[in-house]
Amino acid sequence: MAEAARLASPGAAPAIRAAGLVKTFGTIRAVDGVSFELAPGGIYGLLGPNGSGKTTLIRLLTGLARPTAGMAEILGTRMPSRSALARIGYMTQSDGIYPALTVGENSRFFAAAYGVRDEGARREALGLVDLADRESSVAGTLSGGQRRRLSLACALIHRPPVVFLDEPTVGVDPLLRVQFWTHFRRLAETGTTIVVSSHVMDEADRCDELLFVRAGRVIARGAPGVLRAEAGTSDLEQAFLRFAGEAAA
Amino acid sequence: MSGRRIVALFRRVVQEIRRDRPSLALLFVAPILITGLLTFILREGQAPTVHAVLVNDAGPAGAAFAGALGPTLEAAGGSLRTVTDEATARAAVADGSADLAVVLPADLVSSGRPTVTVITEGLDPSGEGGQLGSLQKALLAAASAGSGRQPPAVQHVTVYGTPSSDPMANFAPAMVAFFAYFFVYLLTGVSFLRERTGGTLERLMATPVARGEVVLGYTLGFALFATLQVALLMTWVLGTVRVGALGPLPAFSIGLGIAVGGNPLMAFLVVLLLAVGAVSLGIFLSTFARTELQIIQFIPVVLVPQFLLSGVLFPVSSLPSVIQPFVSFMPLSYAVDGLRQVFVRGADLGVGALQVDLGVLVLVAAFFATVASWTIRREVA
Repeated sequence: MAEAARLASPGAAPAIRAAGLVKTFGTIRAVDGVSFELAPGGIYGLLGPNGSGKTTLIRLLTGLARPTAGMAEILGTRMPSRSALARIGYMTQSDGIYPALTVGENSRFFAAAYGVRDEGARREALGLVDLADRESSVAGTLSGGQRRRLSLACALIHRPPVVFLDEPTVGVDPLLRVQFWTHFRRLAETGTTIVVSSHVMDEADRCDELLFVRAGRVIARGAPGVLRAEAGTSDLEQAFLRFAGEAAA
Repeated sequence: MSGRRIVALFRRVVQEIRRDRPSLALLFVAPILITGLLTFILREGQAPTVHAVLVNDAGPAGAAFAGALGPTLEAAGGSLRTVTDEATARAAVADGSADLAVVLPADLVSSGRPTVTVITEGLDPSGEGGQLGSLQKALLAAASAGSGRQPPAVQHVTVYGTPSSDPMANFAPAMVAFFAYFFVYLLTGVSFLRERTGGTLERLMATPVARGEVVLGYTLGFALFATLQVALLMTWVLGTVRVGALGPLPAFSIGLGIAVGGNPLMAFLVVLLLAVGAVSLGIFLSTFARTELQIIQFIPVVLVPQFLLSGVLFPVSSLPSVIQPFVSFMPLSYAVDGLRQVFVRGADLGVGALQVDLGVLVLVAAFFATVASWTIRREVA
């Protein structure tokens, strides 16, 4: 598989690097010593149940939270770094758009926030999520799926080389979900590094690599087929449970 | 700092508020209704009883006038007693044994239209305004009773402070300041809480936007609405448009027509500085709120004490001495004082007291802008 070969290619500078990342909230270790390197141009799935630390891990990687220990690097820049944020796209778990503003106003606002002056880039982002003809619609009146699409467009408006998508397909209908993944794949093929968090196992097969997250730790990492084979099962959910059981033992 | 990003934030705030009709009503209609109602209550309320002392420098003519004035006041439940000189009269007013003093001049009958001097304490402008109104009615009645003499003009002086014949003249500056402060705080607090809880702040912090840019963008956005609100409120408070009788409809006037001694633009500057501080206060306090109700719950803690202790209702000098030191920590007290300096005393930038008020308001705005900026968390090196 071409992607797998490229991801595994030695010597390529990692797009994302975590080294001994720890984040504690009081006595809770939300992220507990996570280290990995992700090569550029691939789709990486952070898979784990709710509360396993996926969102906190993304917040550490994007510099929105300061680690208790360890460090994160994006494209060679140690996070947190304000300048590095111009090269990162982040779609939050909530829509994170302004409901009183129209689609066009929301996209223009985030374009300005990212310093994008190219009107073509903004239109392209809306076109990618099929909202180009809804520029004047007020965001609050859109359906849940349309709001997620707008949220995605706002995360991609500056054509970032690294994108974090926190549960991007929650509340999205199956047809739109397919469109989303098709688009993610297209971006990855152009060299974008995409990290997708999800607790839905049936989406995992669309990723190049999976990182199983449980109790703040990465308990397994590999291509979906490899993880299935290592766990001796054809079902990713079963594979996750097998690895989780081994980690707890 | 990026001007383009600040403009984008400013524009977004404006776009949001523009579509938020209840907030627009809160900003622009509520203050008009409330100041209108207050003016009505203060100006048209029950005439209070007046216990007066009289200094007669006009000899027999003055005694005759006093003879007419005394029964008129007594008929309304008040009283009139004569004292020897103005110093005694002032002392009586100062110690509260009389509501006011009337000084009849030596030329009470010789000049064209006599002028009597009325001395009030000066600490309760609204209450004294009512008493002055009652006295003027009594003077008119006394003048008519005294063989149809022309009613005397009244020169109002106070033992403390500067007098005003209109209770609203002292009250209006305080109300203008309070409404600007209250509504701007409320709108900013709720709006920024939505940013925090709606996920947009998290997302905004994942862009290269700096915290200072967010505070500045918000301040510009809400300052625009504060400017419009203050402009509307000032026009309403200061202006008067008279509408003549139209068929069965009697003549009426729109606007409160309160006289302003100084430059209205100076008053505008005072309120604007206060409003800018209120934006940052709203952002700061939204850190401690989880729901919009909690923003409202800060009102009794943060705004009501300022309302009570900043001279809006009660003169600062009449407050218990234990409380008075706290007044210095209330931003609203500087705006109220600054506006009264402009409205009542006609102060300009050369007046030291106004300079202090403006200086403190600038410092307060800068302080809360810095604190608000700290509360917008992004762990950026």
